[in-house]
Amino acid sequence: MTTRPLEARDQPGGWRALTATERGAAHVAAGLPNQDAVAAYPIGSYGAVAAVADGHGHRRHFRSSRGSRLAVAVACEAAQDLTGRIDRCPAAGQVEDETRAVLVPAIVERWRAAVSQDLDGEPFTPAQEASGAATGDDVVIAYGSTLLLAVVWRQWLVLAQIGDGDIVAVRPDGGVLLPVPDDPSLDGWQTTSLCEPRAVDEFRAAVVDLSSTALLGVMLATDGYGNAQLADQWTEVFSQDLAELAATCDPESLADQLPVWVARCASSEGSGDDTTIALLLAPGRTELHRDQQQATEPPR
Amino acid sequence: MTPEAAVGAETSPILMPGGGVARRPLHFIVMADCSGSMKGENMQALNYALRSMLPHLASWERDQLQAQLLIRVLAFATRPRWHVPGPTSVADLSAQWRDLEFAHQGLTNMGPAFRAIAEVLAPDQLERRALRPAILLITDGQPTDPPGGFELGLAALLGSAAGRSSLRLAVAVGRDANSAPLNRFRSPDAPVLVAESIDDIVDTLVTASIALSRMSETGADRGALAQRLLQAGPDPAVGSPDDSIL
Repeated sequence: MTTRPLEARDQPGGWRALTATERGAAHVAAGLPNQDAVAAYPIGSYGAVAAVADGHGHRRHFRSSRGSRLAVAVACEAAQDLTGRIDRCPAAGQVEDETRAVLVPAIVERWRAAVSQDLDGEPFTPAQEASGAATGDDVVIAYGSTLLLAVVWRQWLVLAQIGDGDIVAVRPDGGVLLPVPDDPSLDGWQTTSLCEPRAVDEFRAAVVDLSSTALLGVMLATDGYGNAQLADQWTEVFSQDLAELAATCDPESLADQLPVWVARCASSEGSGDDTTIALLLAPGRTELHRDQQQATEPPR
Repeated sequence: MTPEAAVGAETSPILMPGGGVARRPLHFIVMADCSGSMKGENMQALNYALRSMLPHLASWERDQLQAQLLIRVLAFATRPRWHVPGPTSVADLSAQWRDLEFAHQGLTNMGPAFRAIAEVLAPDQLERRALRPAILLITDGQPTDPPGGFELGLAALLGSAAGRSSLRLAVAVGRDANSAPLNRFRSPDAPVLVAESIDDIVDTLVTASIALSRMSETGADRGALAQRLLQAGPDPAVGSPDDSIL
């Protein structure tokens, strides 16, 4: 079942967060839960944070739906804490340093603590214990999940990602910006994960200065979305289309459409996998898009 | 933008950004021994088995929810030759099927065939969203490659991410097929199947092809499938790595 998107609770003039998630058709058929998770909150009257996570499907990760929920929760908490620190940063490089040195380790540490607490509340069954012992897995492996995070605070867009999925930023002219570098170790079949011992090092991060790089919005998506897209270079077409939609549709109308997008991707006509997106929309989108169009129109 | 069905008559039309959606491609490559020793009943049986396999694959494709099956067939003897060179849907392949032919006095050189498959699985040849490819090797003999040829070809295949991650299953036709090289080719969790007689070829090939397809699904429990469908035990030390961590 598709969840309703979050209400656009933030203030007019600030960034707005819309989300949707859908259980994959293959998961429905196999009796598996939706192992994705999403969370998004406003920060103050202007900023916002959004996170999506994809719990791994293999049976080793039998508590991955919990792992992904814990991941988005702790990531949003840690991101709110980050804002106080980046207030003091005058340059993008320093914000990125804070992200790598403080935010990412905090997320991993809090996630592991949350997993431990969850395990205390509901220990593994004897069968699960035996399964973990047979493979030699640390208990945290059962909760394995990816995580994609976006934080907008003042003029900064802070992005952090571990594992597969896509973060797509949309420019006012419809051009695409993919700020988070590719991870060459991701082959499409296996992924890096929060449950790995080297999780802190496996995170990729990026910072965009919104005062010099205007954006209409940013989408975070689990891999169920990208794997459903027919075109290999889908992010370019997506960005062009979303620029048009973001500039012409009000957030409530877009919020009604998001569940349809994820449902289509998660269906047997798409990837069949759990699919989740969080869409952060910039204030003044219509004006940004219009100004860009006027700037590129030939003079009369 | 892709127009989607409106949620209700009162609502505005839904426009989905992007170029449309589709199932994930599953590239299935049949590597068929067409050496001289396949002449006669073996070749007849192989062609019959391949034709019989297609309706089963079509049925599997209809029933599962993730993959669009795309098949190629590589005939190999002294040299490899693409019998079905491009990724072809099951429906199209069924409609256009042409029987394989043995190569007169053809040898069983597997190394060049592995290299031919490695080329089509190169990163620039495969969709980023493709499921892990499946390779089904069928042979009635042992490799006759010049010294080092088998190893070099296999190294080329396993040298790419897609080749390394591919599901590789071998069917040995008759007792003359040497399973030692086939064991080096196969995936750790996919045993070598033996078709003891010509009559066994159809059943074995159908079982193998369906098993390979199902094992390619995301999150599939490959060990359990190998045990259930192939009635053979996988290497217990190796679990399915799909949809898991690096």
